[in-house]
Amino acid sequence: MSAETLFAHWIAPARRRRFADTLALALPLVLALAVLGWRWGGLIAALLVATVSLAVALAVARQRMARFDRPWLIRSLDTTRPELEDSSALLFADEAPASPLQSLQRSRIAARLDQGAPQDLAPAWSSRLLLLSSLLAVALIAAAMLWPRAGEGPPTLAPSSEGMPAKPGVPRLVAQNLRIIPPAYTGLPVRDSGSLDARVPQGSRLEWTLRFDPQASAPKLLMLGNQPIALRPDGANWIASRAADAAFLYRVDPAAGRGPTPPLHRVDAIADASPQVKALTDSLTMVKPGQRSWSPAFTATDDYGVAASARLRVTLAIGEGENVTFSEREIPVSGSGPARDRRFTPRLDFSTFGFAAGGDMVVQLIVRDNRAPNPQEVRGPSLILRWLSPKAPESSGLTGMVNTTLPAYFRSQRQIIIDIEKLLKEKRGLAPDRYLARSASIGGDQQILRGRYSQFLGGENEDAPDLPTADGEAHSDGDGHDHGGPPVSTPNVFGEKEDVLAEFGHPHDESPASSLDPETRVVLKQAVDEMWQSERELKTGHPDTALPYAYKALRFIKEVQQATRIFLSRVGPELPPIDATRRMTGKREGLASRQLEITPIEQQDGPAAAAWRALGDGPDAIRGPINLAPLDGWVRTNATRLPDALALSGAIDAVRQDPGCTACRAKLRALLWGAMERPSGHLARRRPADAAGARYLDRIGAAQ
Amino acid sequence: MTPQIVVALILVLAVPIGGIRLLLWHRAAGALASPVRTSLLLLLQVMAAGLLYMALFPPGTSGSTSSLRIATANTSRLAATAGGSPLVLLPEAPASGGGEAVPDLATALRRHPGVTSLTIVGDGLGPRDIDAAHGLAVHFDPPPLHPGILYLAPPPAVAPGARFTVGVTLTGLPNATAELVDPAGRVTDSGTPDKNGHVLLAGTARAAGATSFTLRVRRDKRVIEQADVPVWVADNARPKLLILAGAPGAEVKYLRRWAIDAGYDVTTQMSAGGGIALGDAPVALDAASLRRFDAAIVDDRSWAGARGALLAAARGGMGLVLRPGGPIDGTTRSQWLALGFGLSGPGGVAPLVLPKVDAEPVARTRQGIGSEEAPVDIATTEDYLPDISRLGLTPGGNDAVPLLRDAGGATLGAWRALGAGRVALFTGIDSYGLTLTGRRDLYGDWWSALLDTVARPAPGSRVLTDTGWVGERMALCALTGEAQVDGRVRVLPINGYGGYWPTQAGWHMLRSKDAASAFYVQPADALPTMRAAHNSKAMALLSAAEAKQASAALPGQSGATWLWWLGWLAVSALLWWLERARLGRRTAPAETPQSAM
Repeated sequence: MSAETLFAHWIAPARRRRFADTLALALPLVLALAVLGWRWGGLIAALLVATVSLAVALAVARQRMARFDRPWLIRSLDTTRPELEDSSALLFADEAPASPLQSLQRSRIAARLDQGAPQDLAPAWSSRLLLLSSLLAVALIAAAMLWPRAGEGPPTLAPSSEGMPAKPGVPRLVAQNLRIIPPAYTGLPVRDSGSLDARVPQGSRLEWTLRFDPQASAPKLLMLGNQPIALRPDGANWIASRAADAAFLYRVDPAAGRGPTPPLHRVDAIADASPQVKALTDSLTMVKPGQRSWSPAFTATDDYGVAASARLRVTLAIGEGENVTFSEREIPVSGSGPARDRRFTPRLDFSTFGFAAGGDMVVQLIVRDNRAPNPQEVRGPSLILRWLSPKAPESSGLTGMVNTTLPAYFRSQRQIIIDIEKLLKEKRGLAPDRYLARSASIGGDQQILRGRYSQFLGGENEDAPDLPTADGEAHSDGDGHDHGGPPVSTPNVFGEKEDVLAEFGHPHDESPASSLDPETRVVLKQAVDEMWQSERELKTGHPDTALPYAYKALRFIKEVQQATRIFLSRVGPELPPIDATRRMTGKREGLASRQLEITPIEQQDGPAAAAWRALGDGPDAIRGPINLAPLDGWVRTNATRLPDALALSGAIDAVRQDPGCTACRAKLRALLWGAMERPSGHLARRRPADAAGARYLDRIGAAQ
Repeated sequence: MTPQIVVALILVLAVPIGGIRLLLWHRAAGALASPVRTSLLLLLQVMAAGLLYMALFPPGTSGSTSSLRIATANTSRLAATAGGSPLVLLPEAPASGGGEAVPDLATALRRHPGVTSLTIVGDGLGPRDIDAAHGLAVHFDPPPLHPGILYLAPPPAVAPGARFTVGVTLTGLPNATAELVDPAGRVTDSGTPDKNGHVLLAGTARAAGATSFTLRVRRDKRVIEQADVPVWVADNARPKLLILAGAPGAEVKYLRRWAIDAGYDVTTQMSAGGGIALGDAPVALDAASLRRFDAAIVDDRSWAGARGALLAAARGGMGLVLRPGGPIDGTTRSQWLALGFGLSGPGGVAPLVLPKVDAEPVARTRQGIGSEEAPVDIATTEDYLPDISRLGLTPGGNDAVPLLRDAGGATLGAWRALGAGRVALFTGIDSYGLTLTGRRDLYGDWWSALLDTVARPAPGSRVLTDTGWVGERMALCALTGEAQVDGRVRVLPINGYGGYWPTQAGWHMLRSKDAASAFYVQPADALPTMRAAHNSKAMALLSAAEAKQASAALPGQSGATWLWWLGWLAVSALLWWLERARLGRRTAPAETPQSAM
């Protein structure tokens, strides 16, 4: 047995024990921490806390285990086993003993070593610490479970802030609590508000707990413009509850109107917002070649949560021209991501929908939020997937009428120049015959191009240049050029209109260029002439001299290009000319004006305007109490179109309670300004001129 | 105790002490002393004291009653104590002690008859005293103005729902922002002053009644000054409007809709050709029937046939608005040119540059709440721009007054007087596009401005836009007879003007037998810079009138003081020389005065 194996054998039990011991100590604490995390942060927090603390515990355990090393083993063996004669170090030394005496001693000790077991060296369980840690964990868990959370158990009352003066014998609100229980679907926690004003999610349940001093007999919650709610006694407190379906104003009336009027409190109901759908894909997508499916992407956000399942409305428009068939269907899709921000990326296989070339696929996502009982449904934007048919789309409108016909030719001439320049550059490295052949081939290209232009011009310039090598040679079919036919004849597609003339004939004046004006024709002819020159030089093997002609030809073509667009006539409906003599000659008996009456927009803020004037400091102001009943009624009936009807009701109430309160009147007046209609600009009359002014106007008027 | 008395007391004490000291020395000197020298020294001491007093308080001004110094508001203590003529304290002057307190300047002048010149210290005389200072030489150095609102021009009477403009001039605040705050406390417009300090702010009115907006001047988010802007919203009798068009069209349709909503009694007449007229019951275009209308909107095609009658009616007071239905022909152009609209430009139709859309919160303050029939429609910058053009001719010239401009600065509308009436030219074409694209307010602003300007005048309530302050006399003008303010104070006008001393800030009504006017009184501490500028301008007018006398009076006064100082210097020098000289100590002292003289 080598020193290393021996060491491992002897140290292992101690290490195992220490590791297990540490973990045993840590486990109750880890558990307690996890419970704490669960209590305050939910399940995810609990898992997180447990993982982290367990990792820490493991690290600590390893650390503690590693303290049992070789010196420790030697030391403890020497102290506990006198028969080893303080020489156990010899057993665990790596290198062989240096002297014979040492090896002798080592073999003696080795024999004695096995008298004891390695397990004897293992440290004892730290039972006392274990007990302590368990107790601590139990205490922590108990505390976490029993600690009161907001919204659970009896509420703690906050002192009242109404600031009402204490009157002997008249009950007064001294402490209050408003518990807000939001609807379950919102996932919001129950909360306690020390203030009686609150903003709560719509549909929340409100529970008031109030305390009065001295004890009230029949306190009520007076709802402004609604039935009062009676409070029920609950021990020393009074309680009431109500659902917050809409915003409301109320006041706590402890003494049935005997005491001073307490201030108003306001509860705002925050309505659940509709989900918002946003498309992440472009609104128009084209099908790429080889595409078999499409995955449009949407995100849907909501304040409380979007339902995981949504519907996708797929509308297919298949066919072309007038033969288009529509089909519509809805497929369920499911979203991913958190509830408040879901992502929908449905995969639409073309084969399942029968989507084919020349069709449009329009998709629209319909999502719902998780409101209970009536989920809100929202339709997202429509996305279009277009599969263009292989045939070019029919042009329509002006694009078909204006047709530029020259660019392709123009590029060809430029290509010839590029070829020539390239040849000139490579001249040195080329054999003369090769050079000549390439020059002639470029000349061939030039000839084809010239042929096209000649054709465009009606084939008038169809003669080949006078080649010095071809004197006297008559030209015939197949000698390198033909009579105006297209250089590369395109095969006729079945069903297309056959260009018989182009195929078999030799048009002269019926060319497209006959629509050109004479100047353009002249320029084009010049271009063709230059091409001739260029072609001749090329074919005789002088590309360098051909180059200036090629450039000139290009310049002429360019000139034509910039000067003219060729308008092709488009046959449309031909209307007969208007015959002016026949106008207004029909029978006109019984024709009369039938003008519909216009009812002017009714100003509907009469009570508001009246109150506005009464509250101000102008001549119509009323300093004393104002009859606010019409205004109050108007606010109630027009609540939907007012920016803040509730605040207005509150201000009306305040002025009614204390007609002399300047601040209350000013506040009501400020609110009224925002609640008035702006009449369509009435006429502001100027004042008549006085005698002198009238005389002056009369004079200057007479002077004209 | 005035400085004058203090100086006199000191001198009266100093002279005997000096004399006693001299006499003691004389006795101690015994034989060496000369009685003549001693008596001469005594005499000279008394003379020096007297001359010093005269130099400090020259008798020419202090003693006589030909000049007064008037302490007004914010008189510095230093200016009050500086020597010169007797000081008179007006009630506004700070109590600095010294000087005679008077209730007003007229009282002071009664108490000091023969006063010919006044020196004003402090901020200057107010309206109460300015009249009393007429005919006197006034010397006044206006103190520099504090930065703030130099002038506030509230709008004249505004119709319900109309847009109005407030003019503000700021002084010493180049980087400030002026904000117009509506009665609900929302900022409805803001602007920065141009290089002359002028800012124009716009707001919109609601229902009829007295209203006050607030003008707030800020610099770096700090409020420098705040003032009430009175806005008097007054309703008027239902006006009658005639719309004539050569053909039916969208423009007439929307004009009719707008005018009926705006409370006009509208009659439309459209020709459909061939003798067919569309619209309301036909109206004969003659003087008698046109007299019933307050305004007429006429397009270029119907103008040709009704020109004479319309112009005659306009001379009689009717308002006439001319508008083109498209490019106009040469005849119409020359006829409109002859009316005084100097039309210049290439002709045809030009694009109209629409003003930028207001920011959403500002636009919201300009619009009221919507109704089911007319919901709030706020244009945004993303909205489609309506295709509105204008005539390629711009009205101008000396006779026409520009009324509307587009955002590119081209004049869209101009008007001119024609007899008792007015005629306006509006060059916009297809302006109805505004109502379809959320710019209904701009459409209303344009047509309201045109009709407000030209429509037949009518008596009604009006507002006096002069600013008055509590406790300060204000002049109420154009009174035809006895009138009453708020039914309590009688105003008896002289030459159509009455004076009124408001005691309460806010709106006041001035009612006479046949008319009623509203006016607004600012609190006493409001608009201090404007008030100071107002007063100092009145003072400047006063000073300019009497500048000659004032400039003549001032040099004489300073010359007299200078002479006294010279005399005191001469006597003191003599005294000093006599004290130091050996003269009279041993030899005959009788020669001393001779050599000194």
